[in-house]
Amino acid sequence: MVSKVKKDQKPLLNSNIFKKCLTECEKGEEVIVLKVNAGLKAKRRLANLGILPGAKLKKKQDAPFRGPLEVIVKGSSLVIGRGLASKIIVQCDESCNN
Amino acid sequence: MSSHLPEKNSRTRENNNQATINIALAGNPNVGKSVIFNQLTGLSQTIGNWPGKTVEKKEGHLNFSGYRFNIVDLPGIYSLSTYSIEEIVSREYIVSKDVDIIINVIDSTNLERNLFFTFQLLELQIPMIIAMNQMDILRKRNIDLDFNLLRDLFKLPVLPVVAVHGTGVHKLLEKAIEMVYPPETNSLTNKNRLKSQELSLITTFGKEVENKLVMLLQSIKNSLTNGDNKFHYPPRFLAIKLLENDEEILKLLNNDSQFREAIDYANEYRKQLEEYHGEDIHTILSSEIYNNINAIIERVIKIRSQKELKKASIADKLDHLTTHSFFGYVILALVLIGIYMFTFIIGDFLGRLIENFYSNWTQAIYSVFGENNFLINLFWDGALGGFFGGLAGVLVYVIPFFFVIEILQDSGYLPRAAFLMDRMMHAIGVHGKTIITMILGLGCNVPACMGCRIMETEREKKISLALTSLVPCAAAMTVVMGLVGRYLGLGWVVILFTINISVILLVGRILNKIMPGKCTELIMEMHEYRVPNFNVIFKQTWMRTKGFIFKALPIIIGLGILLEILLIFNILEPINFILSPITVFWLGLPAVTGLFLIYGILRKELTLVLLSLFAANVGLTVVELLTPIQMITFSLVTMLYVPCFATIVIIAKNSSWKYALQITFLEISLALLIGGIVHFGFLIFSGI
Repeated sequence: MVSKVKKDQKPLLNSNIFKKCLTECEKGEEVIVLKVNAGLKAKRRLANLGILPGAKLKKKQDAPFRGPLEVIVKGSSLVIGRGLASKIIVQCDESCNN
Repeated sequence: MSSHLPEKNSRTRENNNQATINIALAGNPNVGKSVIFNQLTGLSQTIGNWPGKTVEKKEGHLNFSGYRFNIVDLPGIYSLSTYSIEEIVSREYIVSKDVDIIINVIDSTNLERNLFFTFQLLELQIPMIIAMNQMDILRKRNIDLDFNLLRDLFKLPVLPVVAVHGTGVHKLLEKAIEMVYPPETNSLTNKNRLKSQELSLITTFGKEVENKLVMLLQSIKNSLTNGDNKFHYPPRFLAIKLLENDEEILKLLNNDSQFREAIDYANEYRKQLEEYHGEDIHTILSSEIYNNINAIIERVIKIRSQKELKKASIADKLDHLTTHSFFGYVILALVLIGIYMFTFIIGDFLGRLIENFYSNWTQAIYSVFGENNFLINLFWDGALGGFFGGLAGVLVYVIPFFFVIEILQDSGYLPRAAFLMDRMMHAIGVHGKTIITMILGLGCNVPACMGCRIMETEREKKISLALTSLVPCAAAMTVVMGLVGRYLGLGWVVILFTINISVILLVGRILNKIMPGKCTELIMEMHEYRVPNFNVIFKQTWMRTKGFIFKALPIIIGLGILLEILLIFNILEPINFILSPITVFWLGLPAVTGLFLIYGILRKELTLVLLSLFAANVGLTVVELLTPIQMITFSLVTMLYVPCFATIVIIAKNSSWKYALQITFLEISLALLIGGIVHFGFLIFSGI
């Protein structure tokens, strides 16, 4: 279930939670998107496919040679180029090293 | 049934008293739209282009229940924004008077993502039927949907469909008939379908956004009533798009001073919303849409049993294997070789059949009419020669090619290839998808270049076209194998192939530097592997072949006639002479090769064919005719010098004639450059 972006409070970016980029996630890790620091066009394309603040992602794998990432979002697989993935900021739980 | 129905009763009956219904199939990629389209339209399909654009337009028709259905299969897209031509074309088409009903095909196993697009379609307020596809797979996962609730929520017909089995497809048509020609003749048909109707509540945004929209709506409605409403878009759609700062809508409304106020309001509201939420407007609206979608899904999904499929399916295992760090690449190489061999073997076989057929008839005709009969030469050698040449030379490779593309695409392998190669592709300025067209180019550049239309931006498409056309196709490799491979050994074939690849990498880097703009990042949905639907594949292959025959073949035939005319009037001999500074001096080749290279523009293997024929005619063997260095030069030039004529046409159709000519010029220059280097390099080297 996607957590709703609360309308009466600003996004959690500035508060005290652990965050990192998607590229730093482990294989199989489940995270929640906090922010996408990309251009409007890329953000839009990602949003169309379900990657936007509040969305739950599961990282499936990295391509060899520092290639793109495969993630599972909204029930299906997406491939995202590495450069773009590094701009997707996700929230992880306390066990991850920041 | 809602009140948003087209002014059908006011339409006169067309087509010999047969009422027509125009349908647009819309949905995400890979949801089964093509399967449904194929089932409905069968062989009546045509694949063309949207006027003035390089986007494919697929249309077809059928007669059902006394009505004639005209169906357009829109490109698979994820939204109706303005960031790609497919989206713009789809959006404009849907609101044009040409569409009576949209059938939104949804992959029910992927509801969240698919419904996002559905919401975009709802904004256009066109009569719509939702086709829930892949219900069989959903049910296998022990999930079912509450269709009654779905109909209630969307206020639209929602029908289950299993496209690959054909189940439920005709019910879609029946429903369409009901909606467009309702049984009650004095019905509540709304003559003006842009009148704002009661949209289902599910499309409402959050409070802040709705408040702003209401005010915007007011301003827009005022402007609309003042002037005449020449826009096909519903007012609420305009309001939302203005709020989003949509380029195309702004272009539309900017010219009208009456919308000045609305535009200003929209800018103001957008600023407020973005400040408040700390996000850009698209993200805000998208989030709210997803919220609504989740609310719907929670209510309509019925999980029948708690039993989950724990065991990894075959599709999963295959996925793991094909994206593996090691095996993935092995498989990719095997696929490559497989495609290549498949096309080569089948193409060769068919080509030989056709050539035999042609040459047998040629003998017969010559024996009756003599060899130098003007009309016979023009018609048989020129026109039909071109025709058979086109058939034997290009089509026999093109057909197995289209077939293989469709299989790879349908089964889902191509995204895996892109996944593996993306990183390396970046080094030459394109992203993963180009590896796909380049692999295809190894068989035949023609369908490969056609495949370049899958690129998302114009820039990538152009670079892909250039690089794909540099890939040595089966025809070019025939020359290399038949000349260098046969007389100098396979080792040299590998060397030449490597040189070719290096050229591609180099050109890629250069184009990447000089072409404005940046390479976009790869964002691609990778759907599960599935067994290709051969019914669809055969039909698609035939469709594409038909398209190719009608577009490229006439040009090839025309060229055949032209060349024949030149031959008859002896203009060709002088051509050898004119070209000799290039062929003899620069490339170090015998003068006759000038002519062969000219013919090679038509079909690359003609260079070798004519060379062999010439050798036979003058009683020499090929080895006596060409030195090893000349063989190498000749082969290299053949591989690089121009895309074959059919390819040039395809490149032009996918970008512009100007660009096609630029690529041709580039490749000629490259071929000459490298040929010259080999020639003079050798001279210098052997002189040392």
